[in-house]
Amino acid sequence: MNRVLLMGQSNVGKSVLFNCLAGGGATVSNYPGTTVDFDKGRMTIDGEIAEIIDVPGTFSLQSKDKAEEVALKMLEEKKDAVVLCVIDSSKIERGLYLALELIEKGCPVIIALNMADVAKDANIRIDAEKLEDLLGVPVIATVATRGEGLKKLVERMKETRPVKIEKIMKSVEGS
Amino acid sequence: MELTVDQRWDLVDRISKKTVTVGDYKATLKDALADVTVRPLTGIPFAIAVLYGFWTFFGEFAGLLTDGFFVRIFGTHWIPWIGEKLAGLPDWAFTILVGDRAVFAEGFLGDPCFAAGGVLTTGLFMPFGIVLWAVLALFLVLAVLEDTGYLPRLAVLLDTVMHKIGLHGFAVVPTLVSLGCNVPGVTAARALETRKQRFMIIALLGVFVPCGAQIGMMEELIPHLIGWVFLTLAIGYFGFGWILNKIWPGESPEILMDVPPYRAPQWSNVWRKTWMRTRHFLFVAVPFVLLGCAIVMVLYATGAMDAIAGGLEGFLATVFGVPASATPSLVVGFLRKDLAIGLLPIGAMTTYQVFKSVILLSIYFPCLATFALLLRELNWKEILATLGFLVVTIFVFGGVLNLIGMAGGW
Repeated sequence: MNRVLLMGQSNVGKSVLFNCLAGGGATVSNYPGTTVDFDKGRMTIDGEIAEIIDVPGTFSLQSKDKAEEVALKMLEEKKDAVVLCVIDSSKIERGLYLALELIEKGCPVIIALNMADVAKDANIRIDAEKLEDLLGVPVIATVATRGEGLKKLVERMKETRPVKIEKIMKSVEGS
Repeated sequence: MELTVDQRWDLVDRISKKTVTVGDYKATLKDALADVTVRPLTGIPFAIAVLYGFWTFFGEFAGLLTDGFFVRIFGTHWIPWIGEKLAGLPDWAFTILVGDRAVFAEGFLGDPCFAAGGVLTTGLFMPFGIVLWAVLALFLVLAVLEDTGYLPRLAVLLDTVMHKIGLHGFAVVPTLVSLGCNVPGVTAARALETRKQRFMIIALLGVFVPCGAQIGMMEELIPHLIGWVFLTLAIGYFGFGWILNKIWPGESPEILMDVPPYRAPQWSNVWRKTWMRTRHFLFVAVPFVLLGCAIVMVLYATGAMDAIAGGLEGFLATVFGVPASATPSLVVGFLRKDLAIGLLPIGAMTTYQVFKSVILLSIYFPCLATFALLLRELNWKEILATLGFLVVTIFVFGGVLNLIGMAGGW
């Protein structure tokens, strides 16, 4: 693995995560659509240098604005990349929608359930282990602004692999 | 296999039913604040209060450092000292680096900081004595505003007004960011959905929104006029926005926008952002200010400035009612508008002429850095349209202001 794409909807904390993992460089604001171009950085995974790319937020894989076009182009060009799908834990459904789309595309996905603190304040509880079982991809709760969960996130990046959507449907039926 | 949209949402639904439990939610103070700031009745006074606070901080911070500190450092120490040290240089070098020998010999009529004119005197004073502190203050408040989550609420609040000129409420975000620097402002326009909206906001930003560097110079030189300048530019922004919306083809659809919860700004992030933008100013803008100073002094020394001014005199006087002595400022306006404002012969003009010149400088050409970005963001048709729009705006706006002045007898 030599490339990580940070993807997710807008304003879920991709750039904060990027700055933690790659040591700065991305502009962070509290409004959707801050990152309109991509930022590149380097991080170390398992002793190897990997390129990490902060991709503009995209609601789904159908682009509407120019920033989303950049995101989709990125995904097309970097086919071998691991996709770190960042989800706002307090709005998990829409995040899962994008995660499923990425999985269907055949991308090796790892999910960061970010803003775990916001979800907790809103009294939303997410069973990350169960989610991981159902999806078959690593799922880690994070609070990027405080650096929580990031070490685990990096450690488990090597476990990512493409998962068939049929398998997910079956495990959801089964349990 | 790929699912249909319905199938996918259905699967999301089933997964979240198995993994997510939502407990009771009690509204917090944050929610109350969130509510108050988007309801028009309470939100508009709140917005005015925020912008007023923003402005006051900017004025106090920048004023303290410039008038209270740097004007004195440069005026009483640095400029006389460098004038003395370099007195032995040949005339041409002295003129470019330090300024007009005659001005030094007279012991400066007026303010040495502006009167000197050379690269090492006025050229250093403007960016480091004034503009740096103004942009630093603006970048700082903007970074705080961006990080709290107030900007998307302002966008919601102003959505109705912005739709009158074919823009979405989100357009206030690039507009406000542009008050710091037009470069990130133009980039932020990418989040708008249609080509038409992106083109409109970029054209309006480039023409009507003054950047932090210009605002800093205005605050220093014409604090009593700055309110009128902003009002006039706002009228232009909405008036020409309304016209552009009517004539430029394309759609301006309603969109849904996420309004994030309020968050306390993270200071490390605020500092980093402020620093990144300030660094951009230091490395991109400052060289142009110095270059602009050098060009003006060379034009003076060779007598070319007189020729240009003579050629433009009739035109400037008839169309805009501005004296030929404002020519140098208009010449360097292509490079840097803050420098251009600094070069206006304020003492030699009437108040209304100063006002008109500042407006003309604000609207007449985006700075080079912004222009380079326009080339990247727009297609050639839109670039030509922006330039056409620019020319029309200058003549219509400048002409109308001149007529108003004549009618008022100013």
